[in-house]
Amino acid sequence: MSKQTATPSSSIEINALVRRFADGHRALDGVDLDIAAGEFFTLLGPSGCGKTTLLRILAGLDTPSAGEVRIGGRAMAGVPAHRRSVNTVFQSYALFPHRNVRRNIAFGLEMQRLDTATIEKRIDSVAGLTGITTLLDRPVDQLSGGQRQRVALARAVVNEPDVLLLDEPLSALDAGLRGRLQLELRELQHRLGMTFVFVTHDQQEAMIMSDRIAVLDRGRIAQVGTPPAIYEQPATRFVAEFMGHENLLAVTGRDEQGVTTPIGHFAGAFAEGGHLLIRPEAISLGRRQAAAPGAIPAQVVGRVYRGGSTEYRIACGDHTLIARASDPAAEGFEPGAEVNATVAPAGLAVVAG
Amino acid sequence: MSARAGHMALRGFWYLLLLFLYAPLAVVVFYSFNSINSSARFAGFSLKWYRQLFGNEAILDAMANTVVLAVGSTAIAVVIGGALGYGLYRYRLRRWGWLIWLIYLPVIMPDIIFGIAEMTFFVAINDWLGLLAPGLSTMLIAHVTFQVPFVALLVNARLLALDPQLFEACEDLYARPWQRARFFLIPVLMPAIASSLLLALTLSIDDFVISFFTAGPDSTTLPIFIWSAIKKGVTPEINAVATLLIVAVFLMAAVSLMARRPAGKNR
Repeated sequence: MSKQTATPSSSIEINALVRRFADGHRALDGVDLDIAAGEFFTLLGPSGCGKTTLLRILAGLDTPSAGEVRIGGRAMAGVPAHRRSVNTVFQSYALFPHRNVRRNIAFGLEMQRLDTATIEKRIDSVAGLTGITTLLDRPVDQLSGGQRQRVALARAVVNEPDVLLLDEPLSALDAGLRGRLQLELRELQHRLGMTFVFVTHDQQEAMIMSDRIAVLDRGRIAQVGTPPAIYEQPATRFVAEFMGHENLLAVTGRDEQGVTTPIGHFAGAFAEGGHLLIRPEAISLGRRQAAAPGAIPAQVVGRVYRGGSTEYRIACGDHTLIARASDPAAEGFEPGAEVNATVAPAGLAVVAG
Repeated sequence: MSARAGHMALRGFWYLLLLFLYAPLAVVVFYSFNSINSSARFAGFSLKWYRQLFGNEAILDAMANTVVLAVGSTAIAVVIGGALGYGLYRYRLRRWGWLIWLIYLPVIMPDIIFGIAEMTFFVAINDWLGLLAPGLSTMLIAHVTFQVPFVALLVNARLLALDPQLFEACEDLYARPWQRARFFLIPVLMPAIASSLLLALTLSIDDFVISFFTAGPDSTTLPIFIWSAIKKGVTPEINAVATLLIVAVFLMAAVSLMARRPAGKNR
C-alpha cells in the first residue's frame, strides 16, 4: 500500500507558506500555523483570502511556491495527493457520476487495493455513521443536496485519513439543513478524533463548529484563536468587521485610565490600536435620567426584533451604535426615545488598524 | 393570418419536410422488392434482387471493402480522436488552447476539396517514395482524418460537461495515474466513446466523395459501386444495395442515440 500513514490523527505544521500565481498574485503570503492532532480547525475569511489555496496545498492538489507543510511531523514537499493520508470533502462534492453511492464510497479503498470484505465492512460502518445506509444502492444523480453532502463525507471518512479537509461543504445547502449538519459534523469529528480542517466564509458557522479559528486576510493570517477569543478580542479591525462587529470607534486619545473616542472616554487596560470595539450585547439602555455617571446620552433611531433579542440602533452624537438586549424583562424603547447607554467594561476591546 | 391558420401552415410544412426526406428512401426500398426490372412500375413482391445481389462478386467485394474500411478506420480514429479530445481538454487553458479550432477543418471543408487534396497529397508521396499507392490504405488514412475531429469533439464535450473537481477527487482518493484512467476517465467517457464510435462507423460507410478520390482499382466500396452502376441506369439490384445501406445506417444511428441517453442523465 502506498498511502503514507502517520499517527491515527495528525498534527499539521505550516511554516512561512507562500503561493504565488503566474500573474504575480500572492494567494498565500507567508502563512504560519500549528494545528493540533484531533482539532477541529477552521480557516475563515472572505473569498480570495487564500483559504481554499491553503486547503488545496494540504491535500497535495496545489504546490507552494515557498515554505513548508508537515503532516504528522512528516515533510510533505514532493508527496503527491494520492500518497497523502489526507482526504477532502469538495465544495461541489465531486461524486463520480458513473458509480452509485456504495461504489463512490468504495473508490478510495479500491484504489488502495483493500480486499472486498474489508471494503464492504468499512462502507457499512461509515454509512451508519453518516446516516446513509438506505441510500447505498442509489445512483448519485438521484440524491438531494444534503444526501450528496453526506455521501461526500462518507467517501472521505471511510479511508480513515490522518487529516480530513472540508472545503465549504455546507455552502450549497438551505439554512435549516445547514444548521443540523453543522452539529452533526461537529459530533462526528468528536467521535472520530480525526483532525478536521474546515474552510468557510461564514463566521457563524466557524464559531459554532470550531475548536480554533484562523482568520485569513489577503493571504495572511490575521488572527488565530478560539471562537470566543476571536469574537470578543479581535486583533484587527478587519477581524472585528468580519466577525460582524459594527460598533468601532476611532481612538482619539489615550491615557493611563483608558482611551478617548468621539463619544467619550472609556476606562480599561487596552492593547495598542486605532479603534475601540464595543460589543452590542455589552450596551444596556436605560431611561434618560439626570446625571447618570458614566452613561452616554443617546437617541433610539431604529429597533429590530430578532427573536429572543432586540437590536437597537442608537445615535450618540454623529455616531450610530448597535445595542443588543436579550433580557426579556428589560424595558423596551420606541424609535425616537431619549436613553442613557451604559457599557459593560468586559465588552470593550481596542483593535489594531 | 390567425394563430390557428399559422399552426396549420406549420404543420403542413412539417409533413412536406418529412415527405421530401423519407419518400425518396421509401421509393428505393419499395422498388428493391419489385419482381420486374423497373423503378416506375411495381409488378409484384420478390426477393430476387437480393438473391442476385448476394451472387454478385463485385457487390460482395464492395461490401467487404466497406466493412473492413469502416471497422479499421473507426478503431484507429476512436483511439487517436479520444486521446486528442482528452489532450485538448487537459491543456485547454494553456497558451495553445486555441489549437482546438484547427481540428474543425475537416468538418467545415467541402468534401470534394478535402478529397482532391488528399488524392494530390497521396499521389505526390507515391511519386517520391513509392509508398501509399491508391487503395484501401490511402482510403483508411483519409477516413481516419475526417473521423478524428468528430470523435475528439464528442469526447471533449463530455469532458467539459464534467465537474473539474472530479479529477482532483480521484487524486485525493489515492488513485495513481493509471488508476485514474482505468477507473475514472475511461468509464466516465464510455457513453461518448460509444456514440463517437458509431458516428465514425456511419461516416465511413456513408462516405462517397473522399473515398472516390482516394480509392484504387481494387478498393471499391459500396457507395462507389452504386455510383458507377447507376451510370447504366438504376436497377432494382442497386435499390436492394441501397436498402441494405439504409438499414445499416439507421440501426447504428438508433444504437448511438440509445448509448447517448444515459450519458445525458448522468450529467
